[in-house]
Amino acid sequence: MRFLNNMTLGQYVPVESLVHHLDPRCKIVGVLFCLVGVFMVKGPLGFLMWGLLFLLLVSASRVPARLVLSTVRPVWILVAFTAVIHLFFTRGEPLFSWGIVEITREGAVMAARMGLRLVLLVMYAGLLTLTTSPTELADGLESLFSPFRRFGFPAHELAMMMTIALRFIPTLLNETERIMKAQIARGAELERGGPLRRLRAFIPVLVPLFVIVFQRADDLATAMEARNYTGGEGRSRMHPLKWSVRDTTALLFSVIFSFAAVFLDGRALLP
Amino acid sequence: MSIDVKGLVHVYHPGTPLETKALDGVSFKAEKGSWVAVVGHTGSGKSTLAQHLNGLLLPTEGSVSVDGIEVRQGEGSLRKVRQKVGLVFQYPEQQLFEETVFKEVSFGPRNWGIPADTLKDRVEEALGLVGIGSDLYEANPFRLSGGQKRRVAIASVLSSGPDYLVLDEPTAGLDSPGRRQLLDLLSNLKALGRGIIHITHDMELALGLADMILVLDEGRSSLWGRPDIILGELIERDVRGLVIPDMVRFAGRLRDLGFEVPLTWEPPVLAEAIYRSQGR
Repeated sequence: MRFLNNMTLGQYVPVESLVHHLDPRCKIVGVLFCLVGVFMVKGPLGFLMWGLLFLLLVSASRVPARLVLSTVRPVWILVAFTAVIHLFFTRGEPLFSWGIVEITREGAVMAARMGLRLVLLVMYAGLLTLTTSPTELADGLESLFSPFRRFGFPAHELAMMMTIALRFIPTLLNETERIMKAQIARGAELERGGPLRRLRAFIPVLVPLFVIVFQRADDLATAMEARNYTGGEGRSRMHPLKWSVRDTTALLFSVIFSFAAVFLDGRALLP
Repeated sequence: MSIDVKGLVHVYHPGTPLETKALDGVSFKAEKGSWVAVVGHTGSGKSTLAQHLNGLLLPTEGSVSVDGIEVRQGEGSLRKVRQKVGLVFQYPEQQLFEETVFKEVSFGPRNWGIPADTLKDRVEEALGLVGIGSDLYEANPFRLSGGQKRRVAIASVLSSGPDYLVLDEPTAGLDSPGRRQLLDLLSNLKALGRGIIHITHDMELALGLADMILVLDEGRSSLWGRPDIILGELIERDVRGLVIPDMVRFAGRLRDLGFEVPLTWEPPVLAEAIYRSQGR
């Protein structure tokens, strides 16, 4: 029976690797450059470069390839849908046509481009969360946003909210699974019938889950107050972020690579 | 009529870095009308085992069968097994969701398609067994006390009329009268011919109540037998995380000192044995 335990989107894989040991700030900014770069390439050379870099990063990260691929699973339908729309609804030089259905050369190119682009975007973002623990990610974001604090931007509070939210995703998934199982044991059928019936069938899961979520939120608030939590001011860290030469190198590399990919790709497409 | 578990192996997340073998070749048999206690420390695989008994988890290897019906994929088999084997999770009161106690307890029977004319009897019988009176039928389950909530949750499993009842740490978090009440209820159900599979970490509880005891250690069945036999073994070798009851240790020490007393967990039996060994 498959319940929720095959959710791998953004699940941290704790192995030792070069990529895991990079500073989270380096990885966040680096991935941002890569994402912009992936967005800006149009031709085969550009996609090839991004694809090769990705393979290199995955092998350096030592995350099993199967887990990396599974990050695409939740958006698979979106990718297919986008590709199909572009395939059938782009005007241009016709390749085939059956009746009113017509596939154009431009359509095929656009479909491949959009499909590849989405898959690469999701996989690059997925690699970040596969190699960076939620806490590191939140610490990195807090540090990156802290310059905006003087304009009243609540960097620490947002990072804390994010840490808590991320921390509780697995807990709540476990709770959901447990309640689903308890209701299935009482004969509930959660996976049969039309959408309306399925929605109704989920009430026995949602009501207890809400009760538990509020209970947990309340307990957490009490626990934080009991430990004298007062917000970000003057708060020290257990694992302070350390920026090293390695991080500078990696960041520079990703910036240069992004520019190079976009530039070379653009030139290869010139007539 | 029994639940038969043979060579049960369960692996979580096979093929990922999170792969863990939770059960490794567990075998035992739970007869109808008897009380089987499954004892083990945290992480010994007790809860995983419980979920196999009504097909919420399926064996990676080995087999589980209930009254001869093998538990395996295929909706027919699973639904039949789930109606025969009621599973009461740890803290079952967290599964409550209905507006009234009566509706909550009729959730199970309605799912199994019990006809409306017998539904009322079923629900009243189940609530009667757990000692919830008709004055609470229309009460909101969320407003009941902790012990009452738990009894309503157990009634909501009983109302489906299971032949076997699997309970995962049913006494956790109850005060001692609540605990006593619940254990009496289970003894009652056993007397009515239901099979009880009681999952607990409390050896003393298991020794006093069960007909057969299965001791799990790291997913393996490390001991299986009648309480008196288990007791002897338990003294011989240390099973990780299992606390030997004080009374048994007391009896054991007396034997070491040369008193002729039986190894027992029951204070009156030990008291009589000491009295007799004094030659009076």
